Amino acid sequence: MNIVFLLQSFINGLSIGSVYAIFALGYTLVFSILGIINFAHGAVFTIGAYCTYALAVGDFGLNGLLAGMSLPFRLPFPLALLGGSLLAGGIGVLVERLAFRPLRAKGADPLLALVSSLGVALILVNCLQFLVGAEIYAFPSGIFGSLPMAMVFKMDGKVLAVRTVQIIILVVSLAMLLALAWFMNRTRMGKALQATAENPETASLLGINVDRYILSTFFISGALGGLSGTLIGASFGLAGPYFGVSYGLKGLAVIVLGGLGSIPGAVLGGLVIGLGEAFLPPDYSSMKEAVAFVMLFVILLARPQGLLGRQTIQKV
Amino acid sequence: MFLENYGFLIVAIVQQALLGMSLWYPLMAGQLSLASIGFYSLGGYIAAIMGTSPAFAAWREALGPALYPVEWLIALAASALLGLAVGIPALRLRGIYLALATIAFVQVLNVVVLVLDVTGGAVGLFGIPQPFESRLGYLWFFGPLLAVMLIFSARLTRTVAGRSFMAIREDELAAQAMGIPTTFEKVRAFVIGCGLAGVVGAMSAPFLNTWNARQSSFDASVACLAYVLIGGARSVWGPLLGAALLVALPEVLRPLKDARLIMNGIVLVVACIYLPQGIAGLLASLRRREAA
Repeated sequence: MNIVFLLQSFINGLSIGSVYAIFALGYTLVFSILGIINFAHGAVFTIGAYCTYALAVGDFGLNGLLAGMSLPFRLPFPLALLGGSLLAGGIGVLVERLAFRPLRAKGADPLLALVSSLGVALILVNCLQFLVGAEIYAFPSGIFGSLPMAMVFKMDGKVLAVRTVQIIILVVSLAMLLALAWFMNRTRMGKALQATAENPETASLLGINVDRYILSTFFISGALGGLSGTLIGASFGLAGPYFGVSYGLKGLAVIVLGGLGSIPGAVLGGLVIGLGEAFLPPDYSSMKEAVAFVMLFVILLARPQGLLGRQTIQKV
Repeated sequence: MFLENYGFLIVAIVQQALLGMSLWYPLMAGQLSLASIGFYSLGGYIAAIMGTSPAFAAWREALGPALYPVEWLIALAASALLGLAVGIPALRLRGIYLALATIAFVQVLNVVVLVLDVTGGAVGLFGIPQPFESRLGYLWFFGPLLAVMLIFSARLTRTVAGRSFMAIREDELAAQAMGIPTTFEKVRAFVIGCGLAGVVGAMSAPFLNTWNARQSSFDASVACLAYVLIGGARSVWGPLLGAALLVALPEVLRPLKDARLIMNGIVLVVACIYLPQGIAGLLASLRRREAA
């Protein structure tokens, strides 16, 4: 243990943890309003990353229906990120329409909504595979314009490297968190969303169009998913249409750790899991993928409502 | 000729139906589990290790074909114990926690089998001894198990345990108020399923001849759940009907190539919306209409 290792792990963990946080917020928003986990969130994450890639890079690979094609334009990365996130928001709305609304209209068992969202995830991911193939895509190195790839500091004769993409991830995630906090607490629409989450029936009696707000929740959730997909993709590459599945599952561990339905909980859970993965001793790095899920078990045993969750009281 | 060409398919349907059935028991108590594939993987590794590892050479020598039932029993015991460990913390709580805990369990298991030496890491285990010449022979493994489990399920719906499961499914608070120990019953329903999935895994390792971490992907978990829900979670025949449809569908849709996975998703969504009681529910309502 030395100070450079600690600092390096802290930066790595903070950066990845902040993405986990905004990704998990997408689950939390939908859960707080419908009480259902949207299992298609991981697929939206993937599609967001691919949309940004298409807008920023424009060339498709060798497999799938779009093989060898390219878009007639290239957007700079910030615009592509925005566009990809908005498109992912649109996919989020599509998920609501296909998987959730028909079941809600029938008053069906919430378990079925979970399964239909899994079905929509299967459709989305396989459509993507049909279009772009299963190959690995990576953002080219010049994607951030003239910014250098990384900053290297020398401390006590040891090297501390901070990748540019890590800083971008941290800045974008923090900005997104602040924007979301402002939106939820300071705008009419945010207040209406909170009211709908608290009690949809009362909200509709107060003149809130519940269906519209559910749709906007899915849009915001999808956009957050797409944004985090892009950030992860920019850092580690797009490892095929299934690369969102493992992040989708990890996001579930984040929301349970923080407390189901709690917005600050999702942020804290994301950071805790990100830092937990980063501080794993190098000898155990092959166990990294298990960290989030082990934490999920520990929290279920020790504090089932999650770090910041409210204990719910069952009423008849 | 038919049996030769479709032997693998028939056995696969029965095998997948059994995996679906292992989720049917927790669902009977209203609990959604995605664990089957994890216990299936565990059972498979137990059979694969006992069938190939030099450490068990003496056992194989001494037991001969009796080794297989011993593998099943060990897989059953290991899966049931691990099922208790996963089930108790998650099932103290109401709601979606079992689904989340079982997802976590499968993910941790997948990391562990990739790291351990005894499971062959990412490559997995090969050359697991096969007791039957033809694929169809494995019906001698899976067929009787399916029959026993179908009878067991049908009997279960008429016992105190089964009735308790169903009472919890309908209304957990009311069941608790009636004096049903809800956590105990939910864990019991879950552990029955875990044990079954473990045995199916132990039977499947020789059937597939090789075993690796790809046996327990998240997609496979979802598929098991889909068998039950599309077949019908409220009928003992549900898992079999669902598995027959969903395992045969990709064969029928072979001309669609890559697009057939999209079809799987569409079937799942459409079934959730239009067939909430599954195929079994549809058949039952048709029969009622005929009788009327």
